[in-house]
Amino acid sequence: MKNIRKILKWALLILGAVIFMLPFIIMIGNSFETFTFSLPNPPRLLPKEFTFDNFKEIVNVYHIFDYFGNSAFITFVTTIIVIFISALSAYAFAKIPFRGKELLFKLYLFTLMIPGVLNIIPQFMLINQLGMIGTRRGLILLYIGTGICGNTFFLRGFFEAIPNELIESVVVDGGSHFTIFKKIVMPLARPAIGTLAILVLLGTWDDFLTAKIILGAKENLLTLPIVIHRINGQHATKYGLVFAASIITLIPVMIVYTINQKFFVVGGIGEGAIKE
Amino acid sequence: MRTSKVRKKTHNESNKIYNKSWQAIIFILPGLILAVAFIFYPMLKNIQISFSDYDIISGKLTFTGLDNFKALFTESQQRFFTAYRNNILYAVVVTPITLFLGLIIAVAINSIKKFSTTFKVIYYLPVITSWIIAGLVFKYLFNPGIQGPINYLLVNVLHITSTPINWLKTEWGGNISIWILGIWKNIGYAMLLYLAAIQGINKSYYEVAAIEGATGFQKLKNVTIPLIKPTTFFLTIQLLIGSFNVFLQVLVLTGGDPRGKTSVLQYLLYTRTFKLYKFGEGAAIGLITAISILIVTLILNKKMKVDY
Repeated sequence: MKNIRKILKWALLILGAVIFMLPFIIMIGNSFETFTFSLPNPPRLLPKEFTFDNFKEIVNVYHIFDYFGNSAFITFVTTIIVIFISALSAYAFAKIPFRGKELLFKLYLFTLMIPGVLNIIPQFMLINQLGMIGTRRGLILLYIGTGICGNTFFLRGFFEAIPNELIESVVVDGGSHFTIFKKIVMPLARPAIGTLAILVLLGTWDDFLTAKIILGAKENLLTLPIVIHRINGQHATKYGLVFAASIITLIPVMIVYTINQKFFVVGGIGEGAIKE
Repeated sequence: MRTSKVRKKTHNESNKIYNKSWQAIIFILPGLILAVAFIFYPMLKNIQISFSDYDIISGKLTFTGLDNFKALFTESQQRFFTAYRNNILYAVVVTPITLFLGLIIAVAINSIKKFSTTFKVIYYLPVITSWIIAGLVFKYLFNPGIQGPINYLLVNVLHITSTPINWLKTEWGGNISIWILGIWKNIGYAMLLYLAAIQGINKSYYEVAAIEGATGFQKLKNVTIPLIKPTTFFLTIQLLIGSFNVFLQVLVLTGGDPRGKTSVLQYLLYTRTFKLYKFGEGAAIGLITAISILIVTLILNKKMKVDY
């Protein structure tokens, strides 16, 4: 009886894993397929003849690495700035008493209930008024601005857990809030900041809508998701190209996740999000 | 005696620094300015725009009352109601299936010793794959011809139908594809949160259950599920809000075909605003969506009464 249950459990897990992996296997297989304009019939997991033509075309004709650079630059700058500014705010919310703190924090929390994209129209108008449509500055500014509330909330939880005794020890030595922030809070919260950095990084890397609306038709500034979507639109059936570009986009994501296995359990954080 | 003196001293000292609450301004201000400019102000502005007509060239807003809402409810051939219905259907179909499968997988992974990390990573892969990429792979899987892997499976392998299904260009074919993609992409997230919750349960509960002679299923029903209720609650809210967030699935898979029958609110918002330049109508859709989400959250908060 116990054995049967064990076998069933493993069968379920393995079957599920295969189903979950299948789309990826198909994507990888088809990226090495010699594609004409029709799909292989019957569909196959692995190509009959391996070819790197799709990858060559995506690099040489579609200049995928230029867009890769755009995505990397925008993601990198956004992540660093938004986390620094959010950490400053989070410190004040966690450790400095000031008037109106509770109310302001509730407002920050409230915005998290509204899906970000619903403000996209006024945000677009604002960036337009600032004359930043079709610029990287505009896009990065919008990413940072929309990321503040959520990231502040996320970090505050960790900053609050830092014992006040540690902070008082700096106070005894005559240190200011800036010293505490720099010498105690930031180093101690490194794991939290690391986790958040990954989340911001991936969110920015994968964003489609904001980038599409702000960058518009600025060909040389486009990011990877927009380019992939466009290749798809141009050649509705040239999946080989689309999949090759997708794989190049996915590789850094996979690397970031593999390196940061230890940050993998986001569970506690997500739960904490509701405990208020 | 001595310790209390020290404590008193540090307390006073810390009061000194805590009294420097003006410093909070310097810490808060950069974030606050950005939040006001890009979140709080747009939220209010969005309400104004939804009652106005926006001219993109002059940048002028003209108050038009309820015109935008009227246009949504009448002119656009019921596209709005179909989109709204599709969001609700997505919530009703995707949320429970995702929760159920996520829990089953989490329980299974939790009970094995070997390869648990491997399975965790595999089931989490879809979560970290961008919607655009996931959408494109599913577009290939649901290809309407016999070359589409899913049609091939249904017709030639399982013999469920004799003719390939036109997945992406029919009302229900399209909606089902969108749901399946949503479930596939969300399960890993539910699995991960459930796994964390299950691992946080005190082992002694299970020991007591074992002494009482509970079977595996009874343990799941009477110990695990009640104790992970807060996670279920959190996930339910997340998934329900997420179902108002559906957009890229539709953009990549069906493009709203046939004639808006697979469209959702955000897709309608996007096309009305950035394809037809009807900013007012877009903002009106945004406002209705935001109100819907608030109502859902408030009801759930009341109904589920979880102490958290």
